[in-house]
Amino acid sequence: MDSTVIARERMKLTSITAIAALLCASAVRADDADAPMFTFNGFGTLGVAHSSEDRADFRSGLRPEGAGFTDDWSFAVDSLIAGQVNATFTPKLSAVVQVMAEPNYDGSYDPHVEWANIQYQFTPEFSVRIGRTVLPCFQLSETRKVGFTYPWVRPPLELYQVNPVASNDGADASYRLHFGEWTHTPQLRFGRSNTKLPNNAGTAKASNVWGISDTSEMGSLTAHVSYVRTELTLASFDPLFDGFRQFGPQGAAIADKNVVRDTVVTFLGVGASYDPGKWFTMAEWGRLRSDSVLGTRSAWYVSGGYRSGKFTPYLTYSKAFADELSDPGLDVSALPPFLAGPATGLNAGLNTILSQKPVEKTVSLGARWDFATNADFKLQFDHIRIGAGSTGVLTNTQPDFQLGGDLNVFSATIDFVF
Amino acid sequence: MQRFHLTIFGAGLILTMAAARGDVVAVVSDRSAVVSLSKNQVVDIFLGRAARFPNGNQAVPIDQAEGAAARDEFYIRFAGKTAAQIKAHWSKIIFTGRGQPPRAVSNSGEIKKLLASNPNGIGYIEQSDVDGSVKVVRIE
Repeated sequence: MDSTVIARERMKLTSITAIAALLCASAVRADDADAPMFTFNGFGTLGVAHSSEDRADFRSGLRPEGAGFTDDWSFAVDSLIAGQVNATFTPKLSAVVQVMAEPNYDGSYDPHVEWANIQYQFTPEFSVRIGRTVLPCFQLSETRKVGFTYPWVRPPLELYQVNPVASNDGADASYRLHFGEWTHTPQLRFGRSNTKLPNNAGTAKASNVWGISDTSEMGSLTAHVSYVRTELTLASFDPLFDGFRQFGPQGAAIADKNVVRDTVVTFLGVGASYDPGKWFTMAEWGRLRSDSVLGTRSAWYVSGGYRSGKFTPYLTYSKAFADELSDPGLDVSALPPFLAGPATGLNAGLNTILSQKPVEKTVSLGARWDFATNADFKLQFDHIRIGAGSTGVLTNTQPDFQLGGDLNVFSATIDFVF
Repeated sequence: MQRFHLTIFGAGLILTMAAARGDVVAVVSDRSAVVSLSKNQVVDIFLGRAARFPNGNQAVPIDQAEGAAARDEFYIRFAGKTAAQIKAHWSKIIFTGRGQPPRAVSNSGEIKKLLASNPNGIGYIEQSDVDGSVKVVRIE
């Protein structure tokens, strides 16, 4: 049996175990039929994707592989399954645990706790949650993995890859206000997170995460604003910058400019959607800023669709921008030959990281078919144009991969909730 | 001017026809202080966006079961949303741990029974099922 087969078998087994455990938990119900103590829900996506670029992988989130290089037709881009138990202890005190199985950073499919928190509802308008919650940078952050809740195969990667980290370990407070016909839900949060990154990139440690956001709703109109500030450390970059520091003041300057160690990273996002039922339109913009090798990246998208019975055809245009994609690095010509070699290597390492800032635009055309009340089938075609000097959102780039260029992606998914 | 009159007449005719067909109306307990609400206010209560009536009293929505004709008609008429869109709306809330959909019962009789025992309740039933135990909410 090859390792892929073993991995798949393991995914099945571990997912089944996790879901069975959740089902057992939900079987315990309070005697009072009016208020079930436990409720169980789940969701999932079974998806396949094909990319015309076979020297790199098209992937989403923090998955280590995808379509193109690793697999011609990949199940790893969008597939996942999750189960959730909500426990209501008293009308004010409740808890939620969501367990998800999806391709992890290391290629395993072991289920992980996506969120687990305890909520205390002080009043119908004011609540506080403690534990692992979502970090709502984007309009769809809270449901970015629940395919059934949005029209597309996946939220536009240009924007949603600007911050692929979805969770926050800490506390948040949410207050609902009514102003005339408007409902505002401002939220304040504090926390930290440790996120394991694929492709041997180590762990992204975010500490002192502060965030404020507001969701405003009026009838068919929804608007979202968010601001997040954190101190980020990417220790896996340290050896590279320690190397630069061996090269005198010029090397130290490059290291100081790029190192990610307790580096302040801010994110600002704005989005709005209008969905009167028969059709929908939405747009969103976000920008991540830091004085480091991560630089400044921003992205936006506009999307619209029309609902005709059970079919929803849609069109999306999205664009991602970034500052410098390359750096001259150390001046190699001034170095003696025995140092020029290592210096060239360090420059190449720095430029590889810089080229991974996505610069690209995508036109997506697709359709959603609601073939059952709790399941849909989607087809999507993406034409992606990657900017010169960038890998775009692709990963696992092979030595013969050329930066920039065009590719097409075809995806088909089934989303379900239960 | 002629055309204007015709439009009004046409709109009136459509409204009359709609009322004649067993329409779905929002109802509260006959002990409730609620008299009228806007369409948006009703929708906000049923979609989990508002926990209170405008008068400050707690609002407890009672749904009809999935698949019930009255349910589909209620959400189309009041929110402009299909059954699938309502399912997607609640999936968003459930999977962020922010709440659960309203309690659902299987028919108008059950709604009336629950409203009789809960003055904070609000439901929807066919116009033809309205009796003295409930009060139709006037839609502003």
